[in-house]
Amino acid sequence: MNSAAPGFLIALETSEIGALIRQSVWIYPTANIAHVLAIVLFAGAIAVMDVRLMGALAGSDPARVVRGARRAAILALIAVLVSGAVLFTAEASHVALNGVFQIKMALIAFGIVHALFIGGRAVRALDTLGPQAPMPGFARFAGALSMLMWLSVVGLGRYIAYN
Amino acid sequence: MLRRMALAAVLVGAWPALLLAHHGWGSYDAKNPVTVTGKILTSQYENPHATITVQGTDKVWTVTLAPTSRMRNRGAMPELVAVGAEVSAYGYPSTADPNEMRAERITAAGKTIEMR
Repeated sequence: MNSAAPGFLIALETSEIGALIRQSVWIYPTANIAHVLAIVLFAGAIAVMDVRLMGALAGSDPARVVRGARRAAILALIAVLVSGAVLFTAEASHVALNGVFQIKMALIAFGIVHALFIGGRAVRALDTLGPQAPMPGFARFAGALSMLMWLSVVGLGRYIAYN
Repeated sequence: MLRRMALAAVLVGAWPALLLAHHGWGSYDAKNPVTVTGKILTSQYENPHATITVQGTDKVWTVTLAPTSRMRNRGAMPELVAVGAEVSAYGYPSTADPNEMRAERITAAGKTIEMR
């Protein structure tokens, strides 16, 4: 427990649920494996969505591909967040003060805002486009930024352990 | 387009690897290993890593061990690292916290157990 952390995070870490996660032989490793698997599914969906926005996979209906991948990404993100919350609870006071974790959380917030507003606008712009239509610059930008942010989030997540 | 995207993906994927290569063994100084021997003062047999504090000859060391499932698989049961037990831990000091070290192996009750 790191006493320099805000009180609510110390309370979270030292709670019964925090102790249960740490003291169980299987909860922490299971959450860790689930987190990686959920990230794999999330990254796959994000990659399909973003390369279509950037103009790849021409010949497929852009609105259908992007909307389908977006739904898959949302479901996978929920699994990422749930498994991540278990991992976070076990060491909340330490992790919250880790600078790499803080940058990662800020990027996740930006990523979600980007997906809601810029991404949402890009998706709506696809509805009138045919399979071979070139992607608008706005959609290409939205896809490239999304991919860069989410890959950075995953990279930073792994780097928390080394900071 | 695909070739350009493949190149971009490789570059984005490579930067954390470069950071890791630069830092080598995270924040532990593998060039200056230490051996801490003494009585265990506190013991947390918990994930993600079991942790003990040991009264060394110079100071009280916080010794980071391994995940509990690995400890159990290798025969380092909670009793082996319980409060009051004598332990000797060989490992690497943290570059961030001068009182912490990460054990490569521990010896207790005549058993030597690898932590990695």
